[in-house]
Amino acid sequence: MEEVIKVEHLTKDYGGGRGIFDLNFFVAKGETFGFVGTNGSGKTTTIRNIMGFIKPKSGKVTVLGMDAWKDACKIKENVAYIPGEIAFPDLTTGIEFFKAQAELLGLKSMERADELIKRLQLDPSANLKRMSKGMKQKTAIVAALMADKDILILDEPTTGLDPLMRETFLELILEEKKRGKTILMSSQMFDELETTCDRVALIYNGRIIDIADVNAIKNSTTKAYKIEFTNKEDYQKFKKLKYNIIRDQEKYFQVTVQIDDSEINKLFKSLSKYNLKFVSEVKNNLEKHFTNILEKEIKGGKNVF
Amino acid sequence: MYFSKALFKQSMKANWVKWVCVTVATCVMLAIVIIVLGSLAINDIRDSLKDVFTQADQESYLKENSVDSYEAYNLSIKFVDGLESEGLEGYMGLAWGMITSSYQQKINEYTTANGQAPTGEALVSIKEETVDELVATIKSLGDYLPAEFQEMSDEELGQFIYIILMAYDDNPDLSATSPDFIETAKASIKGNFAEYAGITAYNLYISQGETEEVAKGYQAQATTLATTAIGRYDELAGADDFVYDEDEFKGYANEYVINMIYNQAYNQYITSEEPTDEEVAAAEQYAVAAKVIANTAISTYELWIDELTGSEMTDAEIQAYAREQASASITDQIPEKVAEALEELGNMDIYGLIIGSIFYRIAGLLLPMVFVIMVANGLLAGQVDSGSMAYVLSTPTKRRTVACTQMAYLMISLLAMFLLVTVTSVISIWIVGGNNFAINFAEICLFNLGAFLTMFAFAGYCFMCSAIFNRSKYSMSIGGGLSIFMLVCTILGLFGSNVVPSAMRIDAMNVFNYFSIISLFDTVSILNGSIAFAWKFAILAGIAIVTFIIGVFRFEKKDLPL
Repeated sequence: MEEVIKVEHLTKDYGGGRGIFDLNFFVAKGETFGFVGTNGSGKTTTIRNIMGFIKPKSGKVTVLGMDAWKDACKIKENVAYIPGEIAFPDLTTGIEFFKAQAELLGLKSMERADELIKRLQLDPSANLKRMSKGMKQKTAIVAALMADKDILILDEPTTGLDPLMRETFLELILEEKKRGKTILMSSQMFDELETTCDRVALIYNGRIIDIADVNAIKNSTTKAYKIEFTNKEDYQKFKKLKYNIIRDQEKYFQVTVQIDDSEINKLFKSLSKYNLKFVSEVKNNLEKHFTNILEKEIKGGKNVF
Repeated sequence: MYFSKALFKQSMKANWVKWVCVTVATCVMLAIVIIVLGSLAINDIRDSLKDVFTQADQESYLKENSVDSYEAYNLSIKFVDGLESEGLEGYMGLAWGMITSSYQQKINEYTTANGQAPTGEALVSIKEETVDELVATIKSLGDYLPAEFQEMSDEELGQFIYIILMAYDDNPDLSATSPDFIETAKASIKGNFAEYAGITAYNLYISQGETEEVAKGYQAQATTLATTAIGRYDELAGADDFVYDEDEFKGYANEYVINMIYNQAYNQYITSEEPTDEEVAAAEQYAVAAKVIANTAISTYELWIDELTGSEMTDAEIQAYAREQASASITDQIPEKVAEALEELGNMDIYGLIIGSIFYRIAGLLLPMVFVIMVANGLLAGQVDSGSMAYVLSTPTKRRTVACTQMAYLMISLLAMFLLVTVTSVISIWIVGGNNFAINFAEICLFNLGAFLTMFAFAGYCFMCSAIFNRSKYSMSIGGGLSIFMLVCTILGLFGSNVVPSAMRIDAMNVFNYFSIISLFDTVSILNGSIAFAWKFAILAGIAIVTFIIGVFRFEKKDLPL
C-alpha cells in the first residue's frame, strides 16, 4: 500500500492552546480520507501544512515521498486544491479566471473544464465579484478539478452549495475516486464524509481523537433497538432479562438494547410476552460513532481544556 | 528564471486601470504646469526687482568712483603743494643724493650678479627693497628731519621715495650739483607722481578681481586726473600773488570730477559712430543725471568729513565712513533685512521652485505614490489576506517566482509610467521654448530620473511591507503610512528649505526634511549644475534594491494563511 500523504508527529503551535499537536496519519493511494471537526479544531492548519503554505514547528509532512515545505512547488504538479476561504484573483469573469489558472497550470485543453462547467451548471461568463457563495464554490471546484491531478485536497468543499448541487458534487467526488484519485477532504457534515470517504479522522482541539473506518461502521453486525413498553410492569420485567442495555429512560418506560444480528430472533421471542408501544432500530452511523467517542473524551477529561 | 508570464499578465489585468489613471493624470498635470508657466510672464516681477538692484549697484559704483576721483584730485594737489614747500625744497638735494645712491648701489649689485642691468619686475622689486630700507632710515633721523618729512606717515614717505626713484630712472645723471637741479627734479617728480597714481589704481583694481581692461581704464583715468590736478596747481601757482587755499582747490576737484563723470556717462551711452539727434539728447540727459549723482555724492562726502572732523575717529576712519555714506544707493536706504529679502526675491528661480521643488518632489509624486501603495499591497499582502494567492500557489509556481514576478510588474509599471511622464515633460519644454526655457532638456530629464528613483525606493519599501505582512491593513498602514508621512514631511520641510525666499521661510521647519527620503531627490543640486545629486540618487536606488531583495526572500520563507 502506497502512502501518498504521510503526516508524522506534525505540530504547529500558535500558542494559547491553538494549533495542531503531534498529528499522525496517512492517506493511501486511491483512498478518500475525511477530516471532521468543529470550527478552529485544526483541520485547515493541517491542510496548509500539507500544501506547504506553512512550515511545521516539528514533525514532518511528505507527499509522494517529498517534503511538503521544501518541495512544495514540485508536489503541486500532482495536487489540486480547493481553499476553505473562497477569494478569487482580481479578474473580471469566470472564463478569464479559468484561462489564467490554466496558463499557470500549463494546461492546454479546456475540455475537462467545460465538462465540469456543464455538470455543475455554472455560468462562467458571470462577473467574479458578483457571484453568489454557491457560484463561487462551483468556480473553485472547476478550477481545482480541471487539471485532472492525482491528488485532491479539498477544504470544506461543499459550503455554500444547495442540497441538489451538493449531491452532484458528491457524485463527482465518487467518480474521481473511481478513477483512482487520492482525496483528502475536510468537512463539518458527517453524512457527506460517510458517503464518500474510506476513513475519517476526528480532530478535536488540535489532536486526532479517532480515525474511523467508515465501511466497518456501515457493515457492523451489532445493532441497537429502541423499545417502549405500555406499562411499568412489563418494562421492569424486561430489564431483568440481561440484554445489553445501552440507554435506559425510566420516565417513558423506554430502553435501548444492543445485540448482534444473531440474537435478533431471541429478542423478538422475549418481546412477544410484553405489551409494546413500538420497536425501532437505532442506526449506527459515523455521527453516532464520533459523538460517543467525543462524549467519553470530554467525560474522561482527557485532552479537554 | 523566476518569472511567470501568466502571473504577470494577471497583475497587469488587475492593475491597468489604476496605472492608466495615475499616468494620464500625472502627465496632464505636468504638461499644464510647464506650458502655463512657460506662457506666463512669471519672471517679469523678478526681473524688475533684479533691475532695481542692478541699477542700485551701478549708482553705488558711480558714487564711489566720484568720491574716489575727488579724493585723488585733492591728494594730488596736496602732494604738489608739499613739493613746493620751502622745507622740502631745501632738503631736496640731500634727499635726492641719499635715496638715489642707495638705489644705484643695489642696481650695480644686481648687474654684477646677473651680467645685465635690471629691467621690469626686477627693477620694481629693487625699488621696493630700497623704499623699505630708506623709510626706516629716514624715520630714525627723527627731529633732524624737516617738519614736512616728520608729518608724513610711513606710507606717504614710502610713496614719496618710490616716486623719487622713478624720477631718477628718467634722469640718472641728475644730481644736487646739476644746474637747474630743483626745477628738473620737481618736474620729473610731478610727472612720475601721475604715473605712480595710475599704477596704484591699476594694481588696486586688479587685486579687486577686475579684468585687465577695466584696470587699464582706471589707470588711464587716475593718470589723467593727477596730471590735470598738478597742471591746475602749477598754472595757479605761477601767479605772483598765489596763496594756497584748500577749499578753492576742492572746488576745482569737484568741477573736474563731475565733468569727467558726465563725459564718461555720455560716451558710455553713445555706442554708434554717428549718433542721431535723439540719441545725443538722450545721452545728454543720461549724462546730466550721472553728473547730478556725482555732485550729490561729493557734497555728501564733504558734509560727512566736516561733520566728523574733530571726533574721536582717525582721518582714515572718517574718510572710509564718509565714502560709505556718500556712495549709498537707493537700496541702502531700505532696512537691511527688507533689502536682503527683496534681493533674494529678485534672484529667486521661480521655475526651479515650482517645477523642481513643488511638482517633481511633491505634487507629481502624490499620484504615483498612491499607485505604488495600492499596487504593492495588492500584489502580495492583499492576495494573501483575501486568500486568492492560494490559486497561484496551488499550481506548480515557486514562491520566489511569485515574488519576483510581482516585483518585476511593480518595477516595470513604474518605469513605463515615468517614461511617459518624461516624454510629456520633454514635449512640454519643447513647446515653451526648448533650451531657451528656464529649465533645459537635460535638467528636466534629471528631474524625471530623480522622481523615478524616489518612487522606486518607495515601491521597494511598500513591496517589502507587502511581502512581510499577511494582512492588508498592516501592509497598508506600515508601508503606505510611512510613505505618506514622508511626503507630508517634504511638504512641511519645503517651508524651511532654502528654495523658499527668506521672507516666507521658517528655518525650524527644515527639520522635517530629515524625516523624508524625498530629500535625497536634490532638485536644487540639479539646477545648480553641481554633482551632489548623483550620490543621493545612488542611495535611493540602493534603498530600492535592498528592500526589494528583502521582500522577495521574506515572502519565500514565511507562513501563508491560505
